[in-house]
Amino acid sequence: MLVVDRLHKGFGAVVAVDEVSFEVPAGSTFGLIGPNGAGKTTTMRSILGIYAPDSGTITWKGAAVHAKTRRHFGYLPEERGLYGKMKVREQIVYFGKLHGLPEAECQRRTTHWLARLEIAQYAERPCSELSKGNQQKVQIACAAVHEPELLVLDEPFSGLDPVNAEMLIGILSELKHAGTTLVLSSHNMWQMEDLCDRFCIVAGGRNRAGGTLRELRAAWPTRVIRVAPPTDSVRGVLSALDGARALPPVDGVLEFDVPASTPFADVLARLVAGEKITRFEAVEPSLHDIYLHTVEGI
Amino acid sequence: MNDFVTVFQAELVRRIRSRAFLVGLVIGVFAIALMFQLPQFLIRATSQTRALVVIGAPAVAQPAAALLRNEYSVRAVLPPQTPDAALLAAHKAGEAVVVTAQPAHLAVTLYAKDPADAHVTAMRRALAPLQLQLATHLSNARAQAVLNIPIAVRSVSTKFSTTADAQAAHGIAYTLLFFLYILILVNSQIVMSSVAEEKTSRIAELLVAAVDPIALLVGKICAAATLALLQLAVWIVTAAFIGNAAFGAPGGSTGAAAGAAQPFALNALLSGAVISPWVIVAFVLFLILGFFQLSTLFAALTSLINRTEDLGSVTVPLVLPVVFAFIAAITALETPDAGWVIGLSFVPVLSPFIMFARIAVSAVPIWQIALSLAIDVVALALIAVVAGKLYRVGMLLYGRTPNLRQVWSIVRS
Repeated sequence: MLVVDRLHKGFGAVVAVDEVSFEVPAGSTFGLIGPNGAGKTTTMRSILGIYAPDSGTITWKGAAVHAKTRRHFGYLPEERGLYGKMKVREQIVYFGKLHGLPEAECQRRTTHWLARLEIAQYAERPCSELSKGNQQKVQIACAAVHEPELLVLDEPFSGLDPVNAEMLIGILSELKHAGTTLVLSSHNMWQMEDLCDRFCIVAGGRNRAGGTLRELRAAWPTRVIRVAPPTDSVRGVLSALDGARALPPVDGVLEFDVPASTPFADVLARLVAGEKITRFEAVEPSLHDIYLHTVEGI
Repeated sequence: MNDFVTVFQAELVRRIRSRAFLVGLVIGVFAIALMFQLPQFLIRATSQTRALVVIGAPAVAQPAAALLRNEYSVRAVLPPQTPDAALLAAHKAGEAVVVTAQPAHLAVTLYAKDPADAHVTAMRRALAPLQLQLATHLSNARAQAVLNIPIAVRSVSTKFSTTADAQAAHGIAYTLLFFLYILILVNSQIVMSSVAEEKTSRIAELLVAAVDPIALLVGKICAAATLALLQLAVWIVTAAFIGNAAFGAPGGSTGAAAGAAQPFALNALLSGAVISPWVIVAFVLFLILGFFQLSTLFAALTSLINRTEDLGSVTVPLVLPVVFAFIAAITALETPDAGWVIGLSFVPVLSPFIMFARIAVSAVPIWQIALSLAIDVVALALIAVVAGKLYRVGMLLYGRTPNLRQVWSIVRS
C-alpha cells in the first residue's frame, strides 16, 4: 500500500502541497484529480522521490520510500520527452536498464511492449521520426518496461486519439490485473470514473475530498430526479418535496435537485398515483459533478 | 553505482555514434596532418620570395653568391647591369642584389619586388665575411673564420641541458596546450549539449524519476571525459604515424628550418627524448581536472535554461575565462617565472592551462605543483556541490530562467 501522510511541499513563498494525505491499496487504481495548479504533479513527483517533502511521510509497503524502492516505480510525466536521435528499441531498453533490468530481460520485455503497443515496425527508427501519438506509446513503454509495482501516470490520455486512448485503457487494465498499483491524474472525469477504484480531489494544494466513488457519492448532499411527462401535476409533486429545486427541463424531461435523503420510492408512488409516468430516474452524481461541486465550492 | 554505469555506457555509445564526435575526430586528424605538412608547404611557398639574383663583376659577385647561398636560393650570377621586374621574373627571383667592390668595403644595392619584404639584416650577415675581406685583405677562409665567434650555450635551468631540448620542449608545450584547450572546451560543450537536449526535450523528468540526478550528471561527464581521452589517443597515434611518415624516426629531423620546429617537437614528444614523463602525467591530470571543472559548470548552468536559443548566455561567460587562460598560458611559455604567471597558476579553471605551461618549459617547485593540484581538486569538489544543487533543481525548472538571486537561493538551500 502507498500511504501519503500530511505531505507538505513549498517552493519559496509558494505552497504547492499542504498536508495532503491519501492511501492507495496495493493493486488498486487511484485517481488524483484537481484543477491545474492544484498540486497533483508535485505530489506525484514527491512520491517518486524527485522532490523531497518539506514535511510529512510517504511509505510503500509500510516502509519509507528510498532509491532502491523507486527502482520498482514507473512514471509517465505530463511533459513528455524522448531522445530524438535514439532509436525506439534502444530508448526502451535504456529505461529498462536504468530501472535495474539486465540487458537480455530488457530486450525481451521491449519486444513485448513494441508488439503490445503496435509500434514494432518503428523499433529501429529514431524517435523524432515518429508521430506524436507513437512517441507517446514509446513513452508509455519506457515507463512500464520494468513492470513496476507502482506506476504513476500524469495526464496519460492527453494528446492521444480515441483509438490510442482506448488502447491505453486496455493496457492499464492489464497492468492492474497483473498486480500493478496505478496512480493517475486526468482531467477526463469519465475515463477516471471507469478506471479508478479510489479518488482524491485536491485543490489549492489541499485535500478536498477522497474515497471510492460510492463514498464520494454518499457524501454528496443532493440527487437529481428526472421525470416524464412534464405535466403540471408532476411538477406540483416534485416542487412540494422538502429542499427541492427545479432545474431547466431537458428534452421534455423535468429535472429537480432534491436532498439525498428524499424517499424516492414514496415520491414515485405519489407520482404514479396522479399521472401516467413514462420515466422516473434518481440520478447518482457523476465524478464530474462531484469534482465540479468540490472545486467550485472552495 | 549501477545507475552510474548504465548512464555512462549509454552516454558513451550515444556520443561515439554521434556525427559531431566522428566529425570532430576526423577534423582533428586532418588538423594534425596539416600541422605536419603546413610548415613544409609554407617553406616551399615562400622559397620564390627568398630566391635571389646576384649581379656584379665576377671577382666580387662569385664570392658574394657563395656566401649568400647560406641564406638564399641564388638563381643566377650575372654581369653588371641594372635589374628590373622582367629580369626577376625571368629568373623566378624575388630580389636582385648588385655588389661592387670599393677600395676598402663592399657596396651593395638591393632590388626587391616588395621592398617591405627585403631581408637587409640577413643579407648584411651573409656578406659580412666579404666586407671584412675587402677591408683587411684577409683570405676568404680566414675572414669567415674570424667572423664565426664560437658561442657555447650552458643552461642554468635544471630543466633542459641544451638549447635544442629547450626549443623542442617549447614546441611540445605549444602543441599540448593546443590539445588541452581543444579537448577541454569541445568535450565540455558536448556535456552542455547533452544536458540541453535532455532539458529542452523534457526527457529530464522521466530520467530523474528513474535515476539519481547526480548519478546522471556524473555518468554524463565521465563519458565525455573518456571520449576526450579516446580522442587524445587517436590524435597521438595519428601524429606518430604521420610524423614518422613525413620525417622518419624520432630524432631523424634536425629541425633546422623554423617551420619544421613543430613536427620535430611532436616527434620528440613521441620519443620521450626531451620531455619528462611527468610532463605527460601533468598534462593528463590537468586535462582531467580542467575538463571536470568546466564541464560540471557547463552542465549546471545549462540545466537552468529552457531553450537551446539561450545556450549563448551560458556558453559565453564560461568560454571567456578558458580563452583567457589559453592565451595567458601561451604567454607563460615565454615568461614562466613572471609573478602574474605564478599567481594565475593557482587560480582554478585557469591553472590547468597556466600551471601546465609552466611545468612544460620550466622547473616548477614540487610544492607549487602540489598546491595548484590541491586547489584544483578542492575547487572541483566545491563546484560539484554547487553544480549538483543547481542541476538537481534546474533539470525540472521550466518557465522563466531564474535570475541570480534565485540561483543563489538554490545554492544556499
